[in-house]
Amino acid sequence: MSATNISVDAYSQPPLIWKPYQKVLFRICFIFFILMSIPENPDWYTQVFTFDWTSLHYRDLYDIARFQPSLTRGAGYYGYADWLILLVVAVFGGTIWSLADKRRNEYNVLYYWLTVIIRYRAAIGIIGFAFTKVLPVQMPYPSTGILNTNFGDLTAQKIYWLSISIVPWYQVFAGVVELTAGVLLFFRKTATLGAIILFGALGDIVYVNFAYDGGVHVYSSYFVLFAAFLIAKDIPKIYNLLIRERYTIPVNFNIQIRQRWLQITRIFLKTGVIVLFLFVFFYVQLNNFIYDPYKQPAAKGIAKLRGYYRVKEFRLNNVSIPYSPQDSLRWQDVTFEKWTTLSFKQNKPVVLDLSNGGGSPMRDINRTFELAGVAGGRRVFYYEADTVNQILYLQDKNKGANEFALAAKTALKKKKSSYKNFLSDQQEYELLDHKGLTGRRRKGITSERAQETDRNTMVLNYSTTDGKEVVLKGIDEHKDSVYVVLQRLDKKYALKPGKLSAGKY
Amino acid sequence: MATIDQPDRSGAEWNGWQKVVFRIIFIYFSLQIVPLDWKYYLHLAGVDWLHLSFRDIFNIAKYTPQFTSSVAHGQDWGQAGFADWGFIFLLALVGGLFWSWRDKERGNYVRLYYYLLVLVRYRLAIGVIAYGFLKVFALQAPYPSVSSLNTPYGDFTSWKLFSLSLGIVPGYQSFLGVVELLAGLFLLFRKTAPVGAIIIVFFTGNVFMSNLAYEGGDVVYSFYLVVLALFIVVYYAEQIINLLILAQPAAPVIVPISWSGSAKKLRWGVKSMVVLVFVVFYGISVYGSAVKGNYHFSTQPGLKGLTGLYTVNSFSVNGRVLPASLLDSIRWQDVVFEKWATLSIKINTYYSPVNDNREGIPAQDGGDAFESTATTGRHYYSYQADTVKKVLILRDLTHSGENAGQLSYAPQPDSTVILKGNVNGKVVEAILQKNNKKYLLKASEKGRRGSLKL
Repeated sequence: MSATNISVDAYSQPPLIWKPYQKVLFRICFIFFILMSIPENPDWYTQVFTFDWTSLHYRDLYDIARFQPSLTRGAGYYGYADWLILLVVAVFGGTIWSLADKRRNEYNVLYYWLTVIIRYRAAIGIIGFAFTKVLPVQMPYPSTGILNTNFGDLTAQKIYWLSISIVPWYQVFAGVVELTAGVLLFFRKTATLGAIILFGALGDIVYVNFAYDGGVHVYSSYFVLFAAFLIAKDIPKIYNLLIRERYTIPVNFNIQIRQRWLQITRIFLKTGVIVLFLFVFFYVQLNNFIYDPYKQPAAKGIAKLRGYYRVKEFRLNNVSIPYSPQDSLRWQDVTFEKWTTLSFKQNKPVVLDLSNGGGSPMRDINRTFELAGVAGGRRVFYYEADTVNQILYLQDKNKGANEFALAAKTALKKKKSSYKNFLSDQQEYELLDHKGLTGRRRKGITSERAQETDRNTMVLNYSTTDGKEVVLKGIDEHKDSVYVVLQRLDKKYALKPGKLSAGKY
Repeated sequence: MATIDQPDRSGAEWNGWQKVVFRIIFIYFSLQIVPLDWKYYLHLAGVDWLHLSFRDIFNIAKYTPQFTSSVAHGQDWGQAGFADWGFIFLLALVGGLFWSWRDKERGNYVRLYYYLLVLVRYRLAIGVIAYGFLKVFALQAPYPSVSSLNTPYGDFTSWKLFSLSLGIVPGYQSFLGVVELLAGLFLLFRKTAPVGAIIIVFFTGNVFMSNLAYEGGDVVYSFYLVVLALFIVVYYAEQIINLLILAQPAAPVIVPISWSGSAKKLRWGVKSMVVLVFVVFYGISVYGSAVKGNYHFSTQPGLKGLTGLYTVNSFSVNGRVLPASLLDSIRWQDVVFEKWATLSIKINTYYSPVNDNREGIPAQDGGDAFESTATTGRHYYSYQADTVKKVLILRDLTHSGENAGQLSYAPQPDSTVILKGNVNGKVVEAILQKNNKKYLLKASEKGRRGSLKL
């Protein structure tokens, strides 16, 4: 074909003289993206050195991968205040730089290094996100409690997260798309393709976050911005080729590294990043998926109790209360999850947990995905079981307020905690499969226990003959005596459970 | 006239295998696109051309050859399966080999390849624009009905949950529609077609994956569109790969055809017709429907003042009073009156959900019984209200679609409503009390930063 016969140097050299506006713009971009790519939070650095590298938890690597400017803690301008501050700094810095350096004709080499930093920052960040989907734990399958909660009693954020959770293979697919974008960004030739995929996929996620109030719009926009910078130089070329239908020669900014020690350093660093963020990350995430899915409690619940029950009989201080949909005292239904959770439904409003139910809690009691963004009168309790005497020690998983209200409250009055736990630290470790008990999990359990505040508690004795009927009796959160007869309902759901489920229960 | 900007490829000789592969591909795509299925014309004859609505255009736009399925259903235009693809591929294989045997002279098919590209572009454009407008006006996935808001999460199939989850964010649905629509419009113009096709590979590729994951009914059709888009991308693949991956100079695609004289007029005529029918008229018609309400629901208005959720305070069947219970399989637990003429009753029973998951537009508004399909636990009835006698004549949407009895209604001064009558062969009487329930979904619309007690 004649087109390929035309003799043109395939590698067009970058321009030796940049236009003035290009130079000014570049200086601003350079400062801006460098500031965006540096972790400003001192905790990031201290964490890196305090991880137990011999017993890694997926969250250790995730925390290295996930950072964004956090000078103002996300306040103002829809959470983009940090970006604006950095932009002002960059404009200011870029102006000074332009005044100081008037001789310079081009920044071809510096541009190359900036794209390297942006490529690696974006790649590592998106891979951190991708793995929680590739091994689907970011959106856990709905608990029995949620399956029996009305659609209208969920927040929009919850509905979106759940809609992905019910199709684990689709979650894997979404993860693979993000992972592919990340891997492509590691290599110069495939970087543009990776950036295009990243731009499209994360652009959609930004919109999803605004629409469903998902709360991750700023961090997802971060990747869109990084991807846009990488694509920017090719946009005029694509326009020239496809729209103007002209012969197009790409500009090649790649530099040749000639010094031996630099070549070795490059290979060493690149291999290190790929081994750590692809292979080691996959391994620790697989461990998390199998033994410790981070949004679900990991300890096994009592096997014979698991299921969905309707309350057949309910006595409060020895007075029987018949079922009525309006009654605010009686329990209506009860679930025992695969893990150590009992939930019940009561027609009584409570202050809701409106968070995403994410984060990195290490104690099972603090893993709140099953109650965050869920209303409908469902109360969710974590239990520790004395299986010899058949006693459940229950603690309310809902701290009675969302994180913001809670922060305000604790600032006002530092109430002395009378927190008591049934199990010791050591016993709590032993509830977990030892393969899932990583360094971070062990440390986290102890430190979170030390920070515990007052919760509603119940102590209930349980008995069952064949699991069809369960009797609970004891003291409820208001120190009243309760006696509850549960009738198991082998409920058939229209929703078919996913075949790929995290955790060992 | 080859220049560096406009290299001429029309004279280049193709390899023998390239020609054979092309002949097979040409027949395959032509059979997939050109309407040759006689059943299609049977449906076309059934269209009321004087009152052409977007439903008809939607069906026309969704043509797929169904050579292996022989039945033509009345309202249902049907849809091809992978068996049809296999059959068409066999035809193409045989035809392509026969053609190769007969035609040994030909040097290349540059022009025919281009004509095929144009055909594929237009077919794909029409297909995605038809869906795009439904999303732009947030019709494809409607906002959940009050009944759906009061149905447990586990009582929906995954496909229904997908639809409901998209339904709560009409703005996002419109955004998706605009992306789809823009990609479709891009396909109508040569210069923007490759960009449109790339967008469709990702967009409809995701739709295809969603159909697989959520067990949707458009697996084959969405894949059909993806394959068409891939065909277009392959046409431009060499230059895109050169430019973006190999960092090599890239030559643009040159039109091997010069449109002149009557061909030019024909081209403009066809193009204008496509834009006029499938974009302008269709878009306006979809908008006209959206203004009246969502086609997934009946346009028959519900009883005034009765809309909402009700708790069943007292209930008797055949004269026997049943106390409130979550275990009883006869007693009503709550009742919903929708804004349109539907009521639903929650009863502790399970029935297999009807799974009508193919994306279509019902012949009449509400005709697909969207609200009662792919869910269980609630019993749905549409009703005809006689406001003089205060009687509702019920039709069972959940099971039979047939007459289910009638109920008299009597609003009481204490804001309760008494329903009395005959439902599915049982004499019932119920006292309903309005439940002004606050939904977290709505209460949290302002954001999740404040404190909320529900």
